[in-house]
Amino acid sequence: MNHTITTQLSNGTATFSVDPSLYPLDALYGAAYIFIDRCFVFLDKDEAGRVVVSLSPKKGPADEPTLQSWAGEFGNELLSCAWRHQISAQNRQVLEQVTSLALAGAMGPPSLDDLSNFDFSSQPLEDPLGIAMSWEEKYKKKTPAAAAGTPAVAAPEAVKP
Amino acid sequence: MTRLAFHKSLYAGKAVDEAVKLFATHATCELSETEAAWVVQLSAPDARKELRVARELGNFALGLTVQSRQEAA
Amino acid sequence: MNLQLPALAPRLDVTTQAFFRFRQVGKKVLITNYEGFWALLTPEEFERYATGTVQPGTPLHQRLTDNNFFKATYDTRKAADRLWQRRQALTQGPNLHLLIVTLRCNESCVYCHASRAGMDQVETDMSRETAERSIDLILQSPNPNLTIEFQGGEPLVAFDVVKHAIAYANEKNKTAGKQLEFTMVTNMSLMDEEKLEYLLANRVQLCTSVDGPEHLHDGQRKLPGASAHMAATKWIKRINQAYADRGLDPTLYRVEALLTTTRDSLPLWKEIVDTYVDLGCRALFLRPVDPFGWVDKTARRVEYPREDFLEYYRNAVDYMVELNLKGVQVLERYAAIFLSKFFGNDPNFLDLRSPAGAGIGCLAFNYDGKVFTCDEGRMLHEMGDSSFLLGNVTGSSFKDIVSHPTVRSMVLASNLDGQPDCINCTYNPYCGTQSTHNHKKFGSVFGRARESTICAVHKGIQDYLFERISTDDPKVLDIFQKWTTSRPRTHFLQPPTA
Ligand code: SF4
Repeated sequence: MNHTITTQLSNGTATFSVDPSLYPLDALYGAAYIFIDRCFVFLDKDEAGRVVVSLSPKKGPADEPTLQSWAGEFGNELLSCAWRHQISAQNRQVLEQVTSLALAGAMGPPSLDDLSNFDFSSQPLEDPLGIAMSWEEKYKKKTPAAAAGTPAVAAPEAVKP
Repeated sequence: MTRLAFHKSLYAGKAVDEAVKLFATHATCELSETEAAWVVQLSAPDARKELRVARELGNFALGLTVQSRQEAA
Repeated sequence: MNLQLPALAPRLDVTTQAFFRFRQVGKKVLITNYEGFWALLTPEEFERYATGTVQPGTPLHQRLTDNNFFKATYDTRKAADRLWQRRQALTQGPNLHLLIVTLRCNESCVYCHASRAGMDQVETDMSRETAERSIDLILQSPNPNLTIEFQGGEPLVAFDVVKHAIAYANEKNKTAGKQLEFTMVTNMSLMDEEKLEYLLANRVQLCTSVDGPEHLHDGQRKLPGASAHMAATKWIKRINQAYADRGLDPTLYRVEALLTTTRDSLPLWKEIVDTYVDLGCRALFLRPVDPFGWVDKTARRVEYPREDFLEYYRNAVDYMVELNLKGVQVLERYAAIFLSKFFGNDPNFLDLRSPAGAGIGCLAFNYDGKVFTCDEGRMLHEMGDSSFLLGNVTGSSFKDIVSHPTVRSMVLASNLDGQPDCINCTYNPYCGTQSTHNHKKFGSVFGRARESTICAVHKGIQDYLFERISTDDPKVLDIFQKWTTSRPRTHFLQPPTA
């Protein structure tokens, strides 16, 4: 763990603080969320504006190696979420295209029953991922330049393995 | 009495409300607000139960906050 | 040899190359591009490529041009064709449908707990009505080719349900008009001549488990009062003979066998291969154990570090190559799948593609009518985690099931173009991840490739294969090419019914 996350173990709880200027809040939520089925997770902010994360065991007291490993795993997950957050933003178009292709393929064309049951008065289709929305509709808040960005995977430049 | 302060920049107020409602049968909860936090004062018949309810309530508030952000995305 | 990239840095040129990823493999450098073409370069060749100094007109220039590695000659059409070859299966809908006709099983295996029930638990048999409703849903898949795989527990325990399901599916298919196939995964111990006659007459493809030599198999799979190994091998021979008696090509029509690699298997790689060869099996699938269907206590007994698995894998496949050189035809399935992908003929293996097949390529129908994204999702449900439950055959429509938010999340999460590590990995065009495994191991469907045992195995196998390819041994390359040849087993297709 580097200087951006420091861990304290006390009263059977692992507490550490995270610099929010390095990790987006969505990454922090992503990491916290995967811990809530095995730990009690609490987030707070200290005076310096760092996010303080507390992890306490759900079942019985946890020993120090367990708390250490939770803190370590949280750090790994945080980094992974932060990176994925960035990749998803860069590759959103490709990811959405493939997802909608796969889901549309799995569902097949609308049947006659689907068509006759279609409710023209209803609100927009339930679409939690925004797959059915046009690019402009979904990202209208973004600047045109950002919205037109080429997906990173198609960038004609070398990347490191 | 346990005091939980949910930082407003980290927890959605609605999520804290929902979590409090869910645990209302297990503890007495009083809601208030400071400039920075949604505050829940919580008391249960015994200390162990109070700690457990406080922690569960914290998890629910966090889970519901994350879900509400996903839905809004 | 170690790549000296820092030394190259001042001379690197990024203006001439099309997008590529690279990795050191043995003494060579492997480069792959987005669509999946690849080239193995010597360090000197790689240096020329990386510094933009490959001379036009040289064989190297031609090789790199042919594989779309230069920006100036980048052939978009060729790239799109290759990409489409890989992605087209995505648009077709679920092909594989697992019907769990019972959880009851007469064997007990060290690596299987949660997905089996004792022989007295008749309540875990699928009812005829549930089988019918499952098939009604299956036939709604837009995929023109459908495979219904009977699983358990042990499906022969509920053979009446299997027979009813086959009859019902064939009847309903008269109007659905699908290309239908049936397969059954069975331990064979309850097989008899009457059942076999029915299965052969109805063209049901049979697949069984053989973990290796008798002592290993019987140590892992307990059949009360008998040898599980003998039960399986006796029927493998009998069925292979029956195929031959019916005039079917014996090189193509054979019982398929699967093995589960436990800790005890690792030193026995040679005996395992020999057992398969002696049985006349032409393919082994050297899969590591996975974390489903067992309790943690079992994991401690059967699990092992993935480096140990990879050493076992290399030994076993080296030995299979040696046998092939002596004229014995036997192949390893993981290798065949990856090699097919390398050579541009993606076999659409559901667990090794991006996005993975759970929910969009396959569905699992449990004995009680609950529908899951895949068998692993169903097993997690049996262990108390219903995250991959999509609906029920009585209350959900086909579209409700495949458009379930869980399926959407899994499609997104198993797309390697959205995954840290995978996004930069040289093996991205050929690889796949499993959301159920990630969920179980990491608590999220995304997982973390760097720490994943699945990633370690996939990377290790691809390293091994490219290392062998990089030696340019024409005999080995010829064997590898043969391993990628797939001949359709048309006998197992149900005759047209319309
Ligand atoms: S799973 Fe591992 S080997 Fe496969 S693409 Fe991802 S990082 Fe590479």
